Amino acid sequence: MTDFKGLLRALTDADVEFILVGGVAATVHGSARLTRDVDAVYRRSSENIARLVRALAPHNPYLRGAPPGLPFRWDSATVERGLNFTLTTDVGDLDLFGEIAGGGTYDALRPHAVTIQVFEVECLCLGLERLIHVKRAAGRPKDLETVAELEAILEERRRLEQH
Amino acid sequence: MTQPSAPDPVVEAYKKNLDRSLIRQNLQRSIQERLEALMELQRFAEELQRPGRRIGTR
Repeated sequence: MTDFKGLLRALTDADVEFILVGGVAATVHGSARLTRDVDAVYRRSSENIARLVRALAPHNPYLRGAPPGLPFRWDSATVERGLNFTLTTDVGDLDLFGEIAGGGTYDALRPHAVTIQVFEVECLCLGLERLIHVKRAAGRPKDLETVAELEAILEERRRLEQH
Repeated sequence: MTQPSAPDPVVEAYKKNLDRSLIRQNLQRSIQERLEALMELQRFAEELQRPGRRIGTR
């Protein structure tokens, strides 16, 4: 089970610049679908990568699904060399993206993100309309069902705003 | 500003079968309550998978 509080606190306490996307962002906006990991787009600056490494290091990040004992080092050099990381940590599974299809980098997504307050921390989450756009751009069959729910949430939200 | 996309027939078909009462219920909740409900759902899914894995290893 994902410890959202622990994971979000670890990232925000270290001042990591990130935006929640994917299934957890959908949950934030009102989705009732089950998602098991946290998807986040992180800023690819050297300073932010150093903060990200520091934030997760105490939680033993490792490549999810990889056999134990691989010479995987969670350090800035590893993150600088890669882009996207599918990790398992002591506080839950975390997918880190340097960029995403249909959305791009942290800097491209930032204007479409909203600030949320949860578990006594403040962080960024991709806005609902952009999340729909990104899910459509991903183009995977499983995303179409998610898009349907997200569009229904948008319709319900607009309906509530009108009343 | 994100431009609205053209309706996708598959998405529209999925929408017809959505339980909107569940969406409305979720929209009444705070973000933290939504995430706590997700954690509860994850816990429940893991509970269900445990006996399934035991059966698989027999």
